[in-house]
Amino acid sequence: MANASFSGIRDKVRDGEPLTLEDGVALFEHKNLLEVGALANEVRERLHGDRTYFNRNLHINATNVCEASCRFCSFARLEEGKPGAYTMSHAEAWSKLQARLDAHDPITEIHIVNGLHPGLPFEYYTELLAGLKRLQPTIHLKAFTAVELHYYARKYGMTYAEVLTRLRAAGMDSIPGGGAEIFAARVRKKICDDKCTADEWLEVHRTAHRLGLRSNCTMLYGTIETLEERVDHMLRLRALQAETGGFQTFIPLAFHPDNNALMKLPGPTGVEDLRTYAVARLVLDNIPHLKAYWIMLGVKTAQTALWFGADDLDGTVQEERIYHMAGAETPQAMSPAEIVRIIRNAGRVPVERDTLYNVVAEGDALASDKPFRRDVRRHALEVVP
Amino acid sequence: MTRPKDARKLRVAAVSFLNARPITYGLERGLGEDRFELSFELPSRCAQLLASGEVDVGLIPVAAYAESEVPLRAVPGVAIASLGAVRTVLLVGDAPWTELEEIALDGASRSSAALLKLLCRERGLSPRFREVPHEEVLDAARGRAGALVIGDAGFAAAEKYPHVVDLGEAWRGTTGLPFVYAVWAGRPDVLGADEIGILQQSLSEGMIHRAEIARAWAEAGPHRPDAPELYERYLTENIRYRLGSEELSGVAAFFERGHAAGLFRERARLRLYEQAHATAAAPPVAVRPARPHSVDTLLADAAAGARLAPPDGLRLYAEAPLLELGAAADARRRALHAGNEVTYIIDRNVNYTNVCVTRCKFCNFYRPPTHKTEGYVLSREELARKFQETVDLGGVQILLQGGLNPNLPLAWYEDLFRWMKASFPLAIHGLSPEEIRYIAELERLPIRAVIERLIASGLDSIPGGGAEILDDEIRYAISPLKCTTDVWLEVMRQGHALGLRTTATMVFGFGEEPRHIVNHLERLRALQDQTSGFTAFICWPFQAEGTRLKLHDDTTAMRYLRVFALARLYLDNFPSLQVSWPTMGPEVGQVALRFGGNDFGSAMIEENVVSQAGAIFKLSAGDIERYIREAGFEPRRRNMRYERLAAA
Repeated sequence: MANASFSGIRDKVRDGEPLTLEDGVALFEHKNLLEVGALANEVRERLHGDRTYFNRNLHINATNVCEASCRFCSFARLEEGKPGAYTMSHAEAWSKLQARLDAHDPITEIHIVNGLHPGLPFEYYTELLAGLKRLQPTIHLKAFTAVELHYYARKYGMTYAEVLTRLRAAGMDSIPGGGAEIFAARVRKKICDDKCTADEWLEVHRTAHRLGLRSNCTMLYGTIETLEERVDHMLRLRALQAETGGFQTFIPLAFHPDNNALMKLPGPTGVEDLRTYAVARLVLDNIPHLKAYWIMLGVKTAQTALWFGADDLDGTVQEERIYHMAGAETPQAMSPAEIVRIIRNAGRVPVERDTLYNVVAEGDALASDKPFRRDVRRHALEVVP
Repeated sequence: MTRPKDARKLRVAAVSFLNARPITYGLERGLGEDRFELSFELPSRCAQLLASGEVDVGLIPVAAYAESEVPLRAVPGVAIASLGAVRTVLLVGDAPWTELEEIALDGASRSSAALLKLLCRERGLSPRFREVPHEEVLDAARGRAGALVIGDAGFAAAEKYPHVVDLGEAWRGTTGLPFVYAVWAGRPDVLGADEIGILQQSLSEGMIHRAEIARAWAEAGPHRPDAPELYERYLTENIRYRLGSEELSGVAAFFERGHAAGLFRERARLRLYEQAHATAAAPPVAVRPARPHSVDTLLADAAAGARLAPPDGLRLYAEAPLLELGAAADARRRALHAGNEVTYIIDRNVNYTNVCVTRCKFCNFYRPPTHKTEGYVLSREELARKFQETVDLGGVQILLQGGLNPNLPLAWYEDLFRWMKASFPLAIHGLSPEEIRYIAELERLPIRAVIERLIASGLDSIPGGGAEILDDEIRYAISPLKCTTDVWLEVMRQGHALGLRTTATMVFGFGEEPRHIVNHLERLRALQDQTSGFTAFICWPFQAEGTRLKLHDDTTAMRYLRVFALARLYLDNFPSLQVSWPTMGPEVGQVALRFGGNDFGSAMIEENVVSQAGAIFKLSAGDIERYIREAGFEPRRRNMRYERLAAA
């Protein structure tokens, strides 16, 4: 097989031709990182110009008790009653939202992801959603990964469509993209053997899309997968998207090495992160958005990724627990003003969105925090006494 | 310097080899004929004539400079050097190097002979050396006897023998640095700015006419059909005529290693004639036609090595798309640093005192002298523990900086340095310009006298700290008691004049405007044109946490990468740009290697200042090597002058 040349790939990208597996691998292997980044940036600007999205959201991880034994996860095989294990009562979970409402924080989304808890009834989840909606009927609930949904179908004896329909009736609005990890069977067997298969993950999303639910998709990179397996993962997502059009956003997730069974692996570094983002933007030509999840990348790398294909920084995020148990040193929340400032300082145009990418605020309506360097003079330096 | 018309002409001895022709090109054609009287000799003879006072200026081997009994100064900007293969300094023989029992040395060359002896010793080889006349050297190579061939004889010799070692290449393989074979040198006072200008101009004219020189040489020499091309490639690809920052590092490494191996009695330091205005010391600058430039044209020119004027710098800062600016800087880095290597150093930051009178608003580390409890000066016991740990961890240097402590006289530093040097195998990269300026003020001594005494007691190099923004508008606002831009640069100029290498830094994010940043780069570049004394530039954004400056400015990663890439393009005479992972984090540090960086800085065992203000990152040497590899480069350990060191 001839090595796909960079200029050949560039021509394809500019002509809107889909890239092949070989093209994707060649982009990963191309020595000049900035060339790959600049090409991804071309696509990003063609799709979104300078617009860069974020939302105001709250994360709820209602339980970290989990039957699965994924080797990359710091929640793995955590049983009820063990140190560090927790399961929130409904009241506790709802109080997280109530606290935001009391603080007049105009959040638009709650992101709900949990462990695979063996001892909870299905009603725990429906009531969790229903209670949140009772508190704030307009809030968007982006809840339960395909892995959880698959687990519920098995455990409670329902089809995917039945699980999805009942949860939607209780208040679920869309599905987050987690749990995809890497689709290649070789890797899944080694790092998350008891998780749903690639086909099952894709089937959950296919079903959701058919029912009219939008969803996101992810990829966990930086464990033991090969570059081919990364591109293969993207191509499977692209194929489902061609079929349904239901994915909104792709989110590459960097493996974080602390407190889990893969601690000996070093985890990807900054150059690898940016490269993965750029290749994803180029290969996934039919998924509109690419999210630089700052919780995982760190604020500095996430900001840089805005020039390597990414057009979304995720949200303000309150109370993130999954990555922080794996050693993430990022803050657990950023204020909207901080996010706006980071986007503006990157030379981009911030847009507050809701989960479905409707514009909530832009321009002057955003929390204003213009970049300092353009309009300040020496005398403006303030000294705190 | 003005000279009376009837003054005696300066006697100048140059070398007649092909590689010296570009240097004497202008002089041979009448340039400065009213000032100079030119003669041609073998290199070692040039040095003898200079030593005996029979000539005033000689193109002499650097080894002769190191061994000179009288103080000498070298002409800035002019050298015969090579980075890698030189082709005319060869060890040849019928047997491989390791099997040679005797090596005949060409009596005409001191530097090459010293280099060969040094390389033999460092490889554990001990052949007998026998000096023979220049003309007879080739006949001496047979059987277990090799010969060191220098000069034009090398071209033919390389084809005659089965075993050929190019000493320029061997030196680069060991140190990663250029080797300097010869420099113009004379007694300290014999050359004034005008004469220096003439010698530099002579080379500038020769550089343009290298093809012509090669043709003339081919016609005059032994007939070879490929001669003109061969000689032209030699003059353009093998020999480097610049005495720039890397060449100065090469000389310093040679002097130090030679001294350690017992070849040179003294640990010499190459010192240059000081010049108020230098032009030729700058690398050749591509001249752009005078027309309005698009950002694309500016980027393409800068990537190719053209010098940016201040308005160009401002334009690129404001308008160049980030990745295109980065790609141009990346192209520049590749041109300056062949071989895909990224260097790093293991050293330790030791802050000997936190007592400081300067009260900079951006600093969270200092305590004023009046502070009752928290001021400290590290004791010898504490210092010894830190130094020993550094040695144990493979560290080669101490970055020694502290506050401006009114209780520490110059003698305190002298004692400290002498004790350090006697007790630990560590280089002292110490005392930023501000500290040196303050000691001079305390002692009522000239800055130069302070630096001389510090060197005499063991100072190896000066760190570039305290530069912040080299524009007094900004300095006054953030650190009114700190030295001015001119003073900071003057300390560096004096250090360079005394033969010290230094670094330069910039801290941005104080609310300065782009013009202040470009001014900073411009001032550094202008001094570097004159001295070539800076080895590297390092910049980082202001770390605000806990300081009295309320941060309003943009100190995000994007701005860092933009400033960093601009600096790579603007500072065309700085060989190295160091990324700042301690402030930006290793991820962005790694990305900056693709925005013009060629050095990952220090595996810092200790850092006290920026870590007080919110920078939290720590990396071991192993981590650093991994980050470098994953960015696609080969890690190499170095010392302060970027001389490669074997990893432990």
